[in-house]
Amino acid sequence: MEITPGSRFGTFEVLLPVRSLGRETQQHRDDGFPGRLFIVEGIDGSGKSTQLSLLHKWLESKGYGVVFSEWNSSPLVKDTTKFGKKKKMLTAATFSLIHATDFADRTEKSILPLLKAGAVVLCDRYIYTAFARDVARGMDREWVRELYGFAVKPTVAFYFRVPLETAIGRLMDGRDELKYYEAGMDLGLSDDPEESFRLFQGLILKEYEKMISEFGLTVIDATLPIEVQQTQVRQIVKTQLEKAANVRVQR
Amino acid sequence: MRQTYGKLLPGMRISDLTGKLIVIEGTDGVGRSTQINLLKPWLEELGHAVLDTGMARSTLAGEGLKRAKEGNNLGRVTQSLFYATDFIDRLENEIVPALRSGFIVLTDRYVYSLMARAFVRGMDSKWIRSIYSVALKPDATFYLRLSIDQLIPRVVFSRGFDYWESGMDVYPGRDMYDSFCNYQTALMAEFDRLSEEYKFEVIEASADAEQVFEHLKAGIFRALESDSRKEYISARGTKTLSISDLTANEKVAPAAQTANAAKFESVLRSIMAHSADGNGRTAQQQK
Repeated sequence: MEITPGSRFGTFEVLLPVRSLGRETQQHRDDGFPGRLFIVEGIDGSGKSTQLSLLHKWLESKGYGVVFSEWNSSPLVKDTTKFGKKKKMLTAATFSLIHATDFADRTEKSILPLLKAGAVVLCDRYIYTAFARDVARGMDREWVRELYGFAVKPTVAFYFRVPLETAIGRLMDGRDELKYYEAGMDLGLSDDPEESFRLFQGLILKEYEKMISEFGLTVIDATLPIEVQQTQVRQIVKTQLEKAANVRVQR
Repeated sequence: MRQTYGKLLPGMRISDLTGKLIVIEGTDGVGRSTQINLLKPWLEELGHAVLDTGMARSTLAGEGLKRAKEGNNLGRVTQSLFYATDFIDRLENEIVPALRSGFIVLTDRYVYSLMARAFVRGMDSKWIRSIYSVALKPDATFYLRLSIDQLIPRVVFSRGFDYWESGMDVYPGRDMYDSFCNYQTALMAEFDRLSEEYKFEVIEASADAEQVFEHLKAGIFRALESDSRKEYISARGTKTLSISDLTANEKVAPAAQTANAAKFESVLRSIMAHSADGNGRTAQQQK
């Protein structure tokens, strides 16, 4: 089947910004990429990074070629993002675009080629973070989804679901002062950073909840003990990797 | 009435943008900046406040984009989005506020260049158009057009080959000359297509700068005459517009008069000046 703009992966519309990338993404859906992509999502304090790093260590111990890519970490773009945040000059639109630029660089340079090379790619936050934050900031839901139309669909997208108060309780224990954009101060929800953060995270949580069915996110109950969550995560990843004949093992 | 190409950015009001958005488009080396350097003082002399802006000049992303282009590791999707970030920053922080203050915004390239560059690099048309659906429709777009044969000496003999102007990232030829020809030809084909779609005013840039300037002046007059001011200007019919005509017309249509009074004056002055030149539209209409 030829994928044209408007085709859908499940409920995710494909836009094929790069024609060749589109074909590759299609192959990916058909399990054509040798590698596998696992990503974690959730609000701040959901414990997703802890879970991903435990998964990382386990996969390495099993001999897989594992590569980790973090939100907002492109060497080409992150200085601009940092500058914009420091000067508080990012609007909802430029906040959205500069993060998409960062993600594009990581997709073009590491995520996509590494999946072709047969690696297991792990991402701490993925396009769903942008969908949640940008829409909470007032961007058009459809516009943001189209913006990320070039993204490779993850093999499994884990969503660490946690009640707002639990997450905030975890975060507020001995952490530094909240940053302007982190607290969502640009939304003008409240002058008090902590209150603003609470309201902003609430909006983001609402967006995540809507995306569970929209994108088929795999929900993990993030209130469970760390070990229990990790066992669930590993079981799901293991099942996927057993099906993936062409994932490269290092030794 | 000011419009976008489909979507509105959060918090952006466009109903009160009284200025004029004038776009100068064209590939590398057609003389866009030369013309803008002529147009700006000319418009200012006529009493218009002018903002000139152009690609990769945003406070947010201008420097970062330049740094990213210094290496040879800027990918195609990343490049498209970096330019989009730069554009939206200028749209929100320069173009829209200037238009709200009644400025004439002269922009050296607009979303069309960004679209053409992205298309040449294989980006999906629907994707790019969706991103730029938030851009304002300009009041006039002038496309300075040169054939590839005319372009080569202008670009290559003056400043030599540049990695990006030669499209080395998309057309890695045996040498930069081959790349340059392939890339600029492909770009021009995209511009020609966009020109049809978005109804650019095409100006043959092979003429000398003075002639191109005259064409642009005439075109800009037409753009300044349109919309809210039309009812006043058109009322003059075929005769030369005088101060008394304008005052009389203002009594007939009082709605916009206070808000735009200052601007009418500057338009009037520009029309008078142009008419006195004897080479503009007003003069032609008299014939």
